[in-house]
Amino acid sequence: MIKKFFDWLKQPLGLIAVGIVFLALFSAATYGIYTTQQTPEQPIDFPHNKHISFGIQCLYCHPGASKGPAAGIPSQAKCWACHNQIVKTRDSALLAPLKDAVMSGESIEWVPVAIVPDFVQFNHRAHVAAGKNCEDCHGDLTKMTIYENPQVFNMGWCLNCHIETAGDDQEKLIKLSDCGTCHY
Amino acid sequence: MIRPEEIKMSTEETGKWGMVIDQDICTGCQACVAACAMENNITFVGEEDAGYGRSMHWIRIERFWEGEYPEVKMTPQQPMLCQQCGHATCEPVCPAFATVHSQAEQLNLQVYNRCVGTRYCANNCPYQVRAFNWRDYQRPEPLPNQFNPDVTVRRMGVMEKCTFCIQRIHKAQDKAKSEGREVMDGEFTTACAQACPANAIVFGRVDNPESLVSQLSHKGHGVKHLEELGTLPNVTYFKGG
Amino acid sequence: MSEQFSRRDFLKLAGLGAATTAILTGCGPASRYVKREPYQQMPEYNSVGQSTYYATTCRECAAGCGLVVRTYQGRAIKTEGNASHPLNLGKTCARGQATLQGLYNPDRVTDPNKTGSAMEWDAAIQVVADALKKYKPDEIAFLMGMAPDHLFDLVTDMANATGMNAPIRFGALGMFEARATLSKAAETLFGQAGLPFFDVGGAQVVLSFGANFLETWLSPIPYTRGFTGLREAKTKLRGKFVQFEARMSATGGKADEWVPLRPGTEALVALAIGQIAAEIRGGAMPKAFSSVDLLDVASKSGVKLEALEHLGELVATTNGVLAIPGGPALGQSNGLAVAEAVLALNAFAENIGKPGGVYLSALAPNQTEANRPASAKEMQEFVEKMASGAFKVLFVHGVNPVFELPKSIDFKSAMGSVEQVISFATFPDETSAEADYIFPDHHGLESWGYQRVATGTAQPVLSGAQPVVSPFYNTRATADVLIAAAQLAGGKFAEALPYKDEVEFLQTKVSSLMSESDGSFTAPDAFTFMAYFQQYGGWWKNTDARLSSGTSGILNANISAEEAQFAGEGEFFFVPFVSPTLAEAGANKPWLQELPDPTTTVMWNTWVEINPETAHELGLHNDDMVKVISEVGEVQAYVYLYPAIRPDTIAMPFGQGHTAYGRYAENRGANPANLLGGHFNEAGDLAFAGMRVKIEKISSAVSGVGLSRMESRMGVYGEALGEEH
Repeated sequence: MIKKFFDWLKQPLGLIAVGIVFLALFSAATYGIYTTQQTPEQPIDFPHNKHISFGIQCLYCHPGASKGPAAGIPSQAKCWACHNQIVKTRDSALLAPLKDAVMSGESIEWVPVAIVPDFVQFNHRAHVAAGKNCEDCHGDLTKMTIYENPQVFNMGWCLNCHIETAGDDQEKLIKLSDCGTCHY
Repeated sequence: MIRPEEIKMSTEETGKWGMVIDQDICTGCQACVAACAMENNITFVGEEDAGYGRSMHWIRIERFWEGEYPEVKMTPQQPMLCQQCGHATCEPVCPAFATVHSQAEQLNLQVYNRCVGTRYCANNCPYQVRAFNWRDYQRPEPLPNQFNPDVTVRRMGVMEKCTFCIQRIHKAQDKAKSEGREVMDGEFTTACAQACPANAIVFGRVDNPESLVSQLSHKGHGVKHLEELGTLPNVTYFKGG
Repeated sequence: MSEQFSRRDFLKLAGLGAATTAILTGCGPASRYVKREPYQQMPEYNSVGQSTYYATTCRECAAGCGLVVRTYQGRAIKTEGNASHPLNLGKTCARGQATLQGLYNPDRVTDPNKTGSAMEWDAAIQVVADALKKYKPDEIAFLMGMAPDHLFDLVTDMANATGMNAPIRFGALGMFEARATLSKAAETLFGQAGLPFFDVGGAQVVLSFGANFLETWLSPIPYTRGFTGLREAKTKLRGKFVQFEARMSATGGKADEWVPLRPGTEALVALAIGQIAAEIRGGAMPKAFSSVDLLDVASKSGVKLEALEHLGELVATTNGVLAIPGGPALGQSNGLAVAEAVLALNAFAENIGKPGGVYLSALAPNQTEANRPASAKEMQEFVEKMASGAFKVLFVHGVNPVFELPKSIDFKSAMGSVEQVISFATFPDETSAEADYIFPDHHGLESWGYQRVATGTAQPVLSGAQPVVSPFYNTRATADVLIAAAQLAGGKFAEALPYKDEVEFLQTKVSSLMSESDGSFTAPDAFTFMAYFQQYGGWWKNTDARLSSGTSGILNANISAEEAQFAGEGEFFFVPFVSPTLAEAGANKPWLQELPDPTTTVMWNTWVEINPETAHELGLHNDDMVKVISEVGEVQAYVYLYPAIRPDTIAMPFGQGHTAYGRYAENRGANPANLLGGHFNEAGDLAFAGMRVKIEKISSAVSGVGLSRMESRMGVYGEALGEEH
């Protein structure tokens, strides 16, 4: 039975069938991966570019980046402190979810996009201290509304930069390419 | 494969971080075991799996009996944890390079995302200090609220072991660097040493002759376990008694 | 091309399938997006990604150790000792570490409820107010745990103002420590009752008669620190430690000499050692030591005459001898005589009030006689009163008497004679299961409060507690409930508690310390004082306030040299001991369950310790199930062949055997309190170690069933670890 099936597979028709199945699976897989890299939907279409155009610094809303591991998502009290004072935004339909959340005391559920898996211990502070700017990893947010990752945050990408940064400094290279620097 | 004549009996320290444990004053109270579990998100496995020796203690307190009643004696309690060997037997047997030596911190690392669960390392560890996640052990809500965000939560099929609280090492180094100085001796310590009510555990830089841990380990009566295997352990024991 | 379906073809096909499956399911972190909720209102003292540390007080036992809790994004994630707290100097025990597993325990009482059906807090407060109003003051009773002290003070204030029964407090740890006996015996040395403090660190030779001071006894952290001092002090030789007990405790395991004497002969042995030492030293024989006959002692106690002489010589010739009575030695019919005989050794060694000797503990701020826990005898009287219907309403807080009291004191059925039982339990324990209402208090880490440090420090210490996280469930501080209910009840109750809430009450109490001199801090006003109190985790004096002026009159007292009386029949003496890892209330914390017992390495269960020789004679093996039968009850547990126990003694740990108390504690192991009869010593402490029991084999060990122990990893004698060990 199975021998017959294999014989059939080796016929031209069979080979075409194998090819079709392979292509179908391959494209399904590609699509699967593609969807994971899509930026998820956020409760509010937050326009980063607008905020930056008003001259607001990244660290104003994400102050954790200069102090510790997490940059942090601002509390809605912080959002509302400004927006409440701007007549145009106070009653804007776009900001209704924020207003509702503030009034009801419910949390807004943001979906973090620039994330690394649990087994990676990333520290913003060290990178800021090393002279990295936010846009070096997060891209040019003056051109973004909802945040999208400019590249895949994978280990190769991290390590490239680490090795580049270390340059000829052997001691630095050891530290920056050590497994234990990020994984524990 | 190292030949016997190549075995270095460490008269001087080769590592960076080290520990001195005084068995004479260890009371076996288990505070270090609990502190380690709380700090490092170690899971509990329940009675049945614990009975099969699958409990996940990164540090355990061994006690043995000598003699028989009435001349019976409990040998000094022996806290056993990863010795952070300079020449570790777990490292060369890992086919996935998940257990590797850290060049920067001179520690034996366990890289969870590389680990494929062959358990060769645990079989090859003479100290039997590695613990394997045989299941995805349940920690019902809201217990996960106490997770330490600085430490990975391990899942099924992954080997784990004592890290010398590497998250604390990094934190202290990060803090020192941000203040433009070196990490001071005693500025931070591991969870087990911090909890120990008897002060039986001392942790610090063994490559700094000024540090407390170096001075203690050079006192002379320290013992390194299974040193004859050439593992170059970084934990010194005072047997006492 | 081969026409056959070769293994290689199969691998190719399978490989393609596997690769595709992996691509479709494995690689893509499709589920990696989680939702995150930032703070709605960021607390101003908080910062994203930064930990915040709070000083508070551990509530796992009544010792009052200071904690510093690391919190992150509003969650408590690690407890550490408070390094500036004079009691524990930055150290914690295992139970202090595991306190987070109580806070985030999956089985907590989440809402106020009436036998299981949830209710609103307003209604709950009304229930309390009605109870206070409806009944006469002397029909209202409060039973409280040994912690926290601030709530005890609040109820005491209420009782004083209204004529209500004074609150009574109890804890199994206090019972097994035999605190009443210690306190009464200390009176003969110091002229006043109180907990003696033994300066183990300064001593050269420590003789401990049953005191398990490295486990749960009184205040284990300072005693462990003392033990380090005994062994490591730079100014003297390594100290020697001798333990006298029938069953080697974890403390006894650290002893240089372990003397397995026959239970009940502790007083005889202490007096005999005194007699020998006095003879060697010469001069008049103290009256206290003169009554014993050495040969008689040797034969009764099973301690050889040469051993007694050796110990006597040690006491006579060494400077810095310290003798400690405690544990099972005091929990016998002659417990008071044991305590006196052992303290007489201290008087003989002339160490009273000297470094390395015995002091009377410093009184904590505002500590009075009323703060002490009730002895088992007083609890029996209390329960008898309950059963007689004298109390119409009973409030229970911080204690689980249905589980902790001996079987002979039947708290559970006495509860039936009380019209209304209101429990303030945080966890669904056996007592709250029988209560009419449960109005859950916060967990200790969510609570305000203070705790008096009863012993362990040189100076008076009031340890401060503050919430480190906001309450996780719909719980409410019992002090707040009582204050609100008192206001509703009106009259004298409202006058007794004229506070807005618990915090105002605390401020009133704590700011009374402002006028004290030589405190650890000063402040210009009450609010600043309270802020410092929270910040430092308490207030203490800088002066040594231990009572050091004792008399050696005890040497000329008549100390009874009688052996202890044993109740019941059976071939074995029975030694129940508090589990060093679980203590009285740790069974619901899974990590405490998984800590190996320091001596047997057993986890998650209860065992019966039997000498291997005896077991061999009885045909018992490890993991056989046996029934232990006493005069009042029986329990079942697995056999553990324990090499360091007398052949005529068996022992069982206390801490397991819950019938409620959450998923990790329920229906696990056995409770030795169910074997304990109602016999007391002269000080009113339970003679818990004064019993004889029988054992009966129920079933033989079955492969795969039995005790889970750590030592299976390395063998009882370490044989699995190679020659080195």
